[in-house]
Amino acid sequence: MMQRDPGRCRDMQGIADTSREMQTHPGRCRELQTHPGRCRHIQGDAGSCRARGRAGAPAVPPPRGQGALPRAGGPEGRSRWSPGRRERRDARAAAGAAPGAAPGAAAAAGPGAVCRRRGAVPGPAAPRPARPRHPAPRQSLDFWKLLYVLLKQIHGGSWTESDAIGAQVRFVQWALWYHGYRRPQLRRLPADGSVGSRELLLAFSWLLHCPGLLQRLLAHNRVQTGDHTSVCTCEDDVPERQEGPGEAGPEGRVDVRYLQWLHGRLRLQWCSLHAQHQEQCRLLHKIHSFTSGSHMDQNLGHFSVTEADLIRHPENYKQLLQLLESETTQLEAFLEWKQLEPVYWQWMETVLDDMAEEGNMCVSQDADVEKRRLPEVTSCCPWAARLAGQMDRLSRDLLALQEQLHQLVAQRKAAWWEKVAAREELQKERFSATARKAQESTELKLRGLPSLCAPQKTRMHGLCRLVLRSKQPASKVASGQCVSKEAAAALRAAEVIRELQLREASLQRELQQLQQQCRTRLDGIAEGLEGVICISP
Amino acid sequence: MSIVTVQLGQCGNQIGHELFSALCRDSRGTHGLCSNNENQSYQDSCKERFFCEEESAVPAARAVLVDMEPKVISQALSMAASSGHWRYSSHSHFCQKQGSGNNWANGYCVHGPRHKEAIMELVQREAERCDRLGGFLTIMSMAGGTGSGLGAFVTQCLRDAFPTSFILNHVIWPYGTGEVIVQNYNSVLTLSHLYHSSDALLVHENDVIHKICAQLLNIKQISFRDVNQVIAHQLGSVFQPAHLPCAVSLSDMSSCGFLLSGDLLESLVPHPEFRMLGLRNIPQMAESSLPYSTFSWPGLLRQMLIANAQMEEGIDWQVRPPQAGSCIPCTNKALHFNTSIANLLILRGKDVHSVELGSFQDPSLYTSWLNPQDAFTAWKTPRAFNKYEKSAALVSNSQFLLKPLDSIVGKAWNMFASKAYLHQYTKFGIQEEDFLDCFTTLEQVISSYTNL
Repeated sequence: MMQRDPGRCRDMQGIADTSREMQTHPGRCRELQTHPGRCRHIQGDAGSCRARGRAGAPAVPPPRGQGALPRAGGPEGRSRWSPGRRERRDARAAAGAAPGAAPGAAAAAGPGAVCRRRGAVPGPAAPRPARPRHPAPRQSLDFWKLLYVLLKQIHGGSWTESDAIGAQVRFVQWALWYHGYRRPQLRRLPADGSVGSRELLLAFSWLLHCPGLLQRLLAHNRVQTGDHTSVCTCEDDVPERQEGPGEAGPEGRVDVRYLQWLHGRLRLQWCSLHAQHQEQCRLLHKIHSFTSGSHMDQNLGHFSVTEADLIRHPENYKQLLQLLESETTQLEAFLEWKQLEPVYWQWMETVLDDMAEEGNMCVSQDADVEKRRLPEVTSCCPWAARLAGQMDRLSRDLLALQEQLHQLVAQRKAAWWEKVAAREELQKERFSATARKAQESTELKLRGLPSLCAPQKTRMHGLCRLVLRSKQPASKVASGQCVSKEAAAALRAAEVIRELQLREASLQRELQQLQQQCRTRLDGIAEGLEGVICISP
Repeated sequence: MSIVTVQLGQCGNQIGHELFSALCRDSRGTHGLCSNNENQSYQDSCKERFFCEEESAVPAARAVLVDMEPKVISQALSMAASSGHWRYSSHSHFCQKQGSGNNWANGYCVHGPRHKEAIMELVQREAERCDRLGGFLTIMSMAGGTGSGLGAFVTQCLRDAFPTSFILNHVIWPYGTGEVIVQNYNSVLTLSHLYHSSDALLVHENDVIHKICAQLLNIKQISFRDVNQVIAHQLGSVFQPAHLPCAVSLSDMSSCGFLLSGDLLESLVPHPEFRMLGLRNIPQMAESSLPYSTFSWPGLLRQMLIANAQMEEGIDWQVRPPQAGSCIPCTNKALHFNTSIANLLILRGKDVHSVELGSFQDPSLYTSWLNPQDAFTAWKTPRAFNKYEKSAALVSNSQFLLKPLDSIVGKAWNMFASKAYLHQYTKFGIQEEDFLDCFTTLEQVISSYTNL
């Protein structure tokens, strides 16, 4: 559908993220607390998303902390341990899994209820529930499970009801670390999932914002056309060093032949994958060329794989229709969440305020829950700050060098051209031919250089759909329905290929340099050994 | 997934022809006790892999035939066409009028570059007819002139032209008491060049096959045709479709059931230094005795372990893996014990799914740096092969070729040291340095295998 209605797709992209699921998430958490059986509604497949939507419908019992309640305990006694404060803190801790605070709870009760209550929400000072609640292990467990299910979905895994809580906890911690969430308190939570609902709430909000949990879920559950290919010309960033044990001890030593074995397997599997990709492209080309001219949308002009399959097996239309309907429902829910999102963040601010009062962390001024990476990082990896400083220095030096190089090149060029002009007058044709050849070869070499030190060229990243253009049969144009936030642009396959070839050439050069270094090192070592002749490969 | 076969030289062409006949015969033969669906997928897979469906009903083999003489090729073409069930494509062969006189250098330095364009064009055309190119299978003998020299050159060209495709070289190891004087030189040169370009070398020794024909098949007058048929039977038992034990249900099979040749290489030769593969096939018997024999799986497998003499030598079932922290494991094993790096077992026929394979996973069979889970793979299919109710093939990357290799290199070195017959090579462009490089490569291979 996204392809048939690119205008709509652009609307989607213009909007920041959420969906009705997210809107109902706080409610669902609360539901989980009250209706553990409804855990099952959290399914990975698109088909039951409708169930999800329905779960957030007004059939849900009304939220506990209703309406705008006065602050329990009043403004008197703002000491840390005043009963009112403790009550609020406990309540909010409990609310970590099941926010009793009105905005979240109100959101749970469905869009209509939320809109009614919007007027009643008194701004940043969110109403507190009347009764203090102690955090129950059940809520934490359910929250862990929720995060587990969501993260499993976007990581493409499958899950079962019977996955052990220990495994769930570990997976969630790993997935959060993978996405860049470095808060140490999360790592310290116990593996049985009995506490930590507030930490999980923070993590959840962070997931909403930074890695775009909702966009990913939407993208994951999108109906596939089968024509997609991924494009990525990103430069590799500095790899993150894993915190973990240092050098492996003698027990951890692995025979180098085993490593060679594994490397060989990887290479062979990569070759298989390559062959399969080639086959896929070949078949895709067949489909596109055979069905060209048959599509209603003139922009595309040919069928996608899903459409072609539908023609061959028309009985599958029901399934496709279901998938499209569930996708539509998801998108509608997303739109609704978008409208209610500010309320959620306001409420999160109050949670943060509360935590700040406990002196746990330093809060940024944004409404978003954006974790400061550096403080956490330096507490875990002391060398990170030094590394960052070194990198800054290096990049400054590189820029300076680049300037100098440009100047030098310009000077040399000018001098050379003078000489060439003088020479040319002496010998006309033959010299100009050799000069041209020399110029081409230097251009080739220079072309490689800027790619090494170019600051930030346009990076293409994301999924693209392949479209065969019949007007220029030699080229394939990819119209980008990119997942990223850039405007949908049409990329030409030839450009992408050229970029990738440049990148490949530079990587090859790097590889050769590294191999040369290894060779010289080996030679150096072999010199020192008696009676050993080293024959380099 | 398709494999393009390149048949090189007299030996290669004859074996290639027998191979395709065996594959076709098996594919059309009785399917034993497996279901119709399985049989259908088996046939489709086999056809896709080795043959190309054309408008005329008879499938065409995906093969390129190369030889310097026209005689063998035309024989192969006509025999295939007369079989009525398959044929070679009409324009997939390349031959010249003169031979190479058993001169490796002639094949490598003269014929190769001269005819490279024509041969590679044929290969390219075959490759483009495949939807998915699985890889190349080249069949050649190591000791002859055309097959070995030209074969080494063609393998190199294949590697250059298709850097990501698999190349499996099937080489025929010459008779120990062969008739060609310079067969040791040819063998050394071929092996070292192939080691650089191809992914795996699947070796058949003429002596061993001869023994099979004499003792197991009871053939009195053993002709090359008999030898070739045994070889084709063994190759067919490896290349015909099979799948991993986990894909038991049909739905698993239909999507990506039958294994690709890449998987064969992946389980056996990922390590760049260890590329030599040997093949054992059980049972081998005359067709006339087939209807009167029944086998049980445990008996068959035990017989395989024993009959594969190299594997049985010194195998003492009391041997336990050495204790952790003890001295180097190699000294624990008998000096002539055949250590494997990896083994692939392919079982075909009745009741394959209930076979007990524990004896193949004994760690004492394998080298110390690879555990048996990585080293041993088993493929199964209930579909019977070539009328055998049950059959098993073992492809093994092990020390089995160490002795023959060592002896060939030793003999070649002796000849080289006395500069015998070198002028025949140097006059075509193979210098002494090239010989030395080849010896170095093979010494490295020998030492890697010795130190398992």
